Amino acid sequence: MDFLIDSFMSAILLAFSLDRELISIVAVSLKVSSSSTLIASLTGIPIGFLIASESFRGKQMLITCLNTLLALPTVVIGLFVYALISRRGIFGPFDLLYTQKAIIIGQALLIIPVVTTFTIAAISRIDNRYRQTAMTLGANRIQTAFVIIREARFGIVAAVIAAFGRVIAEVGISMMLGGNAKGFTRTMTTAMALEYDKGEFTLAVALGIVLLSLSFGINLLFHFFQGRTGD
Amino acid sequence: MLYKLADITKKYENKTVLNINSLDIEKGRIYGLLGPNGAGKTTLLKILGFLEKPESGDIFYNSALVSLSEAFLQPLRKSVVMVNQRPILFTTTVYKNLEFGLKIRKIPKQKRKNIIEEALEVVGMTHLSQAKAHKLSGGETQRVALARAIALSPEVILCDEPTSSIDLENQTIIINLLKQINENRGISIIFTTHDKLQAASLAHNTLFLDQGRLSSDSYENLFSGNITKEAGGLSVCTIQNSVQIKTGTDKSGTVRLLIDPEKIYLAGVEDKKNNGESIITGKIVHITAENGKIRIIIRSGINIAILMPEAYYKSRRPMIGEDVSIIIPPESIRIL
Repeated sequence: MDFLIDSFMSAILLAFSLDRELISIVAVSLKVSSSSTLIASLTGIPIGFLIASESFRGKQMLITCLNTLLALPTVVIGLFVYALISRRGIFGPFDLLYTQKAIIIGQALLIIPVVTTFTIAAISRIDNRYRQTAMTLGANRIQTAFVIIREARFGIVAAVIAAFGRVIAEVGISMMLGGNAKGFTRTMTTAMALEYDKGEFTLAVALGIVLLSLSFGINLLFHFFQGRTGD
Repeated sequence: MLYKLADITKKYENKTVLNINSLDIEKGRIYGLLGPNGAGKTTLLKILGFLEKPESGDIFYNSALVSLSEAFLQPLRKSVVMVNQRPILFTTTVYKNLEFGLKIRKIPKQKRKNIIEEALEVVGMTHLSQAKAHKLSGGETQRVALARAIALSPEVILCDEPTSSIDLENQTIIINLLKQINENRGISIIFTTHDKLQAASLAHNTLFLDQGRLSSDSYENLFSGNITKEAGGLSVCTIQNSVQIKTGTDKSGTVRLLIDPEKIYLAGVEDKKNNGESIITGKIVHITAENGKIRIIIRSGINIAILMPEAYYKSRRPMIGEDVSIIIPPESIRIL
């Protein structure tokens, strides 16, 4: 018990001491997670909008598939992307394996379904009369789409926040595709796993505190935006 | 001619909801589109607003044939604005709602400001310029939606049931506004309603729509009822389980019947009851003058309208609140 309390106290001190190694790990985490969230948003929001607003055959099936992908294990994506970017893979010549780019690609694939399904839900909630109102006021297709996205903005922002929350806390992809190289591809979660393996709990718990604080902040934001959807 | 429609049909899920052989709408006038719920009024309005495409038929707008491709319809929408029954205002300020269509038309910022201020002044909403639009009351929303339409200086404003979901005070304001917009700005107005009195007071022309078709009937005194044969072979239609009217028809079962308001008359003491006629008693609840005729609404379980010549009205002088008997001859009844 004393061991746990000691680790926890040391971790708190470390977390607030602005330790260089800790800052570097947090910075890498934030960088890759933000990048993957940005890519997933730029891809998932338009796809979600199109799926929600168009009628086509197999739409429901597609939504069911996307919902299934929400439960996709990170190691499956890690394995899949590894097969593509490893030396023998079709993207092998790009030398992406064990780089931050590899993590970003894997994480983006992980959360595109998250952003897409949440966007579909947010857009579907918007009354069709918004579309018609924009059209009767002279808006073209793109301007009308922006009106609808604007009306669904709180739901869409919530989708982006949820996606960021998913990648900042994942470990499988970062470990398999990033390789946990110190100062380069070491993220908060991979560092925690490594420190655990080494039996060094202080840094692991300190990172855990930072991660939990970040998650708490993200959740606060998420609930703020979700609450606004009903305003 | 502003609009000319020929052989227009519209279907929803294989059900024909609109079937118009021919319709001409003149520029600069107010048209009231009357009809019961589900008659196809809103669908027609959406087609006139280029928001929906008909399955077949031709639309001429300003004498030019309208192509139904999106690339052709989108510029046309800039001259026709539709205001919904419950208008949608974007979740931003009133000012920005009015600014939306002007920005699309690439109006410079200062000019936009002037136009918005003027439009808000017309509808008496200047003080709510910076208010959140989605927090406004029903009447205020309707007025802002009208201001948003006026700001765009369209050729036509289409209003779907403009007064159906607002209070009496705002109803009067909206009616006066529509008149004012038409008179001062020359904007053609087409509105839907199921209120004959409103149509009569506002519209220059009234069109009647029933089951998707234009009709020459006024569709006033349109009721659903059940016809049964009484003793002596008389067929009697019971409406809303309260009023019984002799119909003189061979039909039976559930029907829709129309009673011509010009063929109903007030019973006098000297009138003798004819066996084929129905006499119904009720209270006068409404009297209005309309194009040289007087319309009287009598409440008797159902509201029945009578349209009488002014001279007849003056000779009888019925008053609001008065209990009267009316005679409905079988020839005034038409089974649909």
